[in-house]
Amino acid sequence: MERHFFKELENLKMTILNMAALTQRALENATRAYLERDEQLGQTVIDGDKKINALEIAVDQYTLKLLALEQPMAKDLRMILGTAKISNELERIADQAVNISERTQFLCKYPPLENIPAMDQLIDVSLSMVKKAVSCFVNEDVKTAYEIRKMDDMADEHTLTVLQTLVEYMVKNTPATERRRLNTRRSVQTIIISRCLERTCDLSTNIGEHVAFITEGVNIKHQGIDAEP
Amino acid sequence: MEKPNKIVTKDLDFFYGDFKALEDISVAFKKNQISALIGPSGCGKSTFLRCLNRMNDLIPGSSVKGEIYIDGKDIYGQNIDVVHLRRRVGMVFQKPNPFPKTIFDNVAYGLRVNGIKERKIVAECVEKSLKQAVLWDEVKDRLHSSALGLSGGQQQRLCIARALSVEPEVILMDEPASALDPIATQKIEELIHELKREFTIIIVTHNMQQAARVSDITAFFYMGRLIETGDTETMFTRPQLKQTEDYITGRFG
Ligand SMILES: Nc1ncnc2c1ncn2[C@@H]1O[C@H](COP(=O)(O)OP(=O)(O)OP(=O)(O)O)[C@@H](O)[C@H]1O
Ligand SMILES: [Mg+2]
Repeated sequence: MERHFFKELENLKMTILNMAALTQRALENATRAYLERDEQLGQTVIDGDKKINALEIAVDQYTLKLLALEQPMAKDLRMILGTAKISNELERIADQAVNISERTQFLCKYPPLENIPAMDQLIDVSLSMVKKAVSCFVNEDVKTAYEIRKMDDMADEHTLTVLQTLVEYMVKNTPATERRRLNTRRSVQTIIISRCLERTCDLSTNIGEHVAFITEGVNIKHQGIDAEP
Repeated sequence: MEKPNKIVTKDLDFFYGDFKALEDISVAFKKNQISALIGPSGCGKSTFLRCLNRMNDLIPGSSVKGEIYIDGKDIYGQNIDVVHLRRRVGMVFQKPNPFPKTIFDNVAYGLRVNGIKERKIVAECVEKSLKQAVLWDEVKDRLHSSALGLSGGQQQRLCIARALSVEPEVILMDEPASALDPIATQKIEELIHELKREFTIIIVTHNMQQAARVSDITAFFYMGRLIETGDTETMFTRPQLKQTEDYITGRFG
């Protein structure tokens, strides 16, 4: 006889997957809105955030209920604690997608900046890290968690390059005050976007760490990136 | 400082006639620790517990192979006084089983059997044991009324007091709280915590949460074998073996 509790656990997992799908899409759309200067697409990200917030609250309530009523042990216990944390990370990734979209709305009002290759790379890394974080959870694959952590170092590098490029851009040329103000504004907004992306990479890394905790009961936080099982 | 071993079994087998109820159990229980034995019904927990004070000797056709040491001494060896052994290794059963006597006499019984007759000493001992069992305040005004008039939880604590009265070193408990309501259960659990300072305790329980709450060490038995043993926190958060994991998360069978 299948215990009712196992169905509840499946439900919890499905809720997280649902939330993960929405979050992943939010980040994809936010970055596409930025790249394609698509205000409308950005707006859908901002509007869609309510749903993700609601799911986070639902997961909180659900996990609390399962802890109180089922008194889970071992992996079940780790799964419940882990999913509560993962839902928290997802919600924060979605918040970053909203931030990116808001900055994008601002940037759309002005002519575009020159293309910054490091920004493109940062976007690629961020998207693939979120994707990996989700598949890490789906497949309970701890190896992926370590991969994600390695990618996080790349993300940090790209973020730094974006910053250096734009600082360079702000201080050089443009004697005219008006023009300079415009450059500074656009650059700062773009730097903020890069920061948001970098943040999503940290959050994806956290998700990988939670998956390692769920599947193996180990804590891989705050270890050097070369530490592998 | 590492606690010394109190009870050690080596390659222990136990048979009811031809039926091998325990197979190859080697385990050590440390002094002043609480150990919980868990496992599905019929896996041999009670059998194992009864080996530790040779209660199984009373079962016709049964036999033991292997060794059990208490404080380094083989309890199945020669020159072992079984009555003395059972005094050192007391037992509390699933169902409270007070004698149909007064509360006082229930606790005094073991003392008298052991030759302690002087009234004053007996009275002191009874009071001490009832206090240790956290029952004194509830019964001090009716020590000479029948033990059968007590509630189930009180009766169980009386049986614990009776076990304590002879100052054992080890207390074996076979599902001591299974017939009790949550409040009585909580009292017994608190009591077990208290007792660990003076005694070494081994408790059988079907209640996983109870094992998690009261014990330092948990041992998982399955089909007469000891599958996994470890500190309780690890056993309930990340057991090593899948069988253990499946049992404690209710995915068995
Ligand atoms: N007196 C006996 N004679 C013959 N077989 C017995 C006797 N007592 C127990 N057994 C058998 O030995 C095995 C272990 O029994 P035991 O009572 O030790 O299990 P247990 O783990 O305590 O189970 P439970 O959780 O139901 O109390 C079982 O298969 C049981 O049928
Ligand atoms: Mg039993």
